[in-house]
Amino acid sequence: MSEHDARAAAWDRDAGMAKITAITWRVGAAGVAVAGLLTVALGHHADASQASHGRNTIVIPAQPPQPAAGPGQVTSGAS
Amino acid sequence: MTAEEITTDTFEVFGTTAVLLVTSADAVVPARTIADRLLAAVDLACNRFRSDSELSRLNAADGEPLAISPTFADLLATALRAAKLTGGDVDPTCGRALSGLGYDRDFAEVRAAGSVPPRLTGPVGPVPGWRQVRLDHGARRVRLGGGAQLDLGATAKAWAADRCADQIAKSVRCGVMISLGGDVAVAGKPPPAGWQVRVTDDHAAPSWVAGQTVTISGGGLATSSTTVRTWELGSRAVHHIINPATGEPARSCWRTVSVAAGTCIDANAASTAAIIRSAAALDWLHDLGLPARLVRHDGTVETTAGWPQDDPGEAA
Repeated sequence: MSEHDARAAAWDRDAGMAKITAITWRVGAAGVAVAGLLTVALGHHADASQASHGRNTIVIPAQPPQPAAGPGQVTSGAS
Repeated sequence: MTAEEITTDTFEVFGTTAVLLVTSADAVVPARTIADRLLAAVDLACNRFRSDSELSRLNAADGEPLAISPTFADLLATALRAAKLTGGDVDPTCGRALSGLGYDRDFAEVRAAGSVPPRLTGPVGPVPGWRQVRLDHGARRVRLGGGAQLDLGATAKAWAADRCADQIAKSVRCGVMISLGGDVAVAGKPPPAGWQVRVTDDHAAPSWVAGQTVTISGGGLATSSTTVRTWELGSRAVHHIINPATGEPARSCWRTVSVAAGTCIDANAASTAAIIRSAAALDWLHDLGLPARLVRHDGTVETTAGWPQDDPGEAA
């Protein structure tokens, strides 16, 4: 291989690596963006500390009520 | 944390009973201070029977725009969100319908008056609808179109419960459960056994009355019923849950619906909508994944989305 061909091969290699690096960054950035969107879209399991008036769905509880015995500490009924 | 450290404070607010529980005895005084301040602000913002409330001024504004407080703006935004998420079932523009049915003063006075003479002059039609509320939340301005008159009874108490629980947990750094007339919100670290809530028709019912006890650890729980806030209009019994499509008290196959949700306001919106949707509520709640307990007029119970079954020994 001539010196010219060796330089050309090295240049092609560096150019290829630069392209791969750029693509990797773009894929990574897109992944972060998608993860953020998924967090917003699916993050509707909430506790009472989260304000809800900006949410566009009724928020389900983190877990359903569990059975218990006794009179209860408070009563939920109409008033 | 032991059960003995849970401290309870009971007081009257909004014409009903409030119960505040905190997981530390030291927390109860600062917690009550926070609740009193917030509840006073809510009352001044949206009490339909106070002439100096922002809601009364808005109802009297004849469609003119009004500058409003941050609290009232949040309450209105919450009411409009509830309307949107329930397909318009929980509608804040039912003020005129309620007044027409005789609910035009504090409920204790309505009930004390006995039978209310019918004052309706013609057929009751659909309410103007929540889209007649033109709210600019950021600019804190609102105006009512279409002759709408507001009543925030379906959402304000639950919003206040959420806000109280949230602010107390953050400021006092304790676990908290608050019930405002049966609208229950919890926040902060719960006791090891969770918070115990009795669900029944009437929040003021004694513990031996039929119902079910459950435990929650977060979010909110609310109950709507056609059996409690009732009065006589002429010769017929009426209640306060208005079907926006008719402007009349909802006719439902359920007498009482309890719902658990991520917040008390969402639980309350869903329980009220379920009463109005009647039989269709079962599929709606199931599709939303909302745990609920629905009681028919004959006392039989349906549940959705993991709500525990009643103890066979207890009646609904």
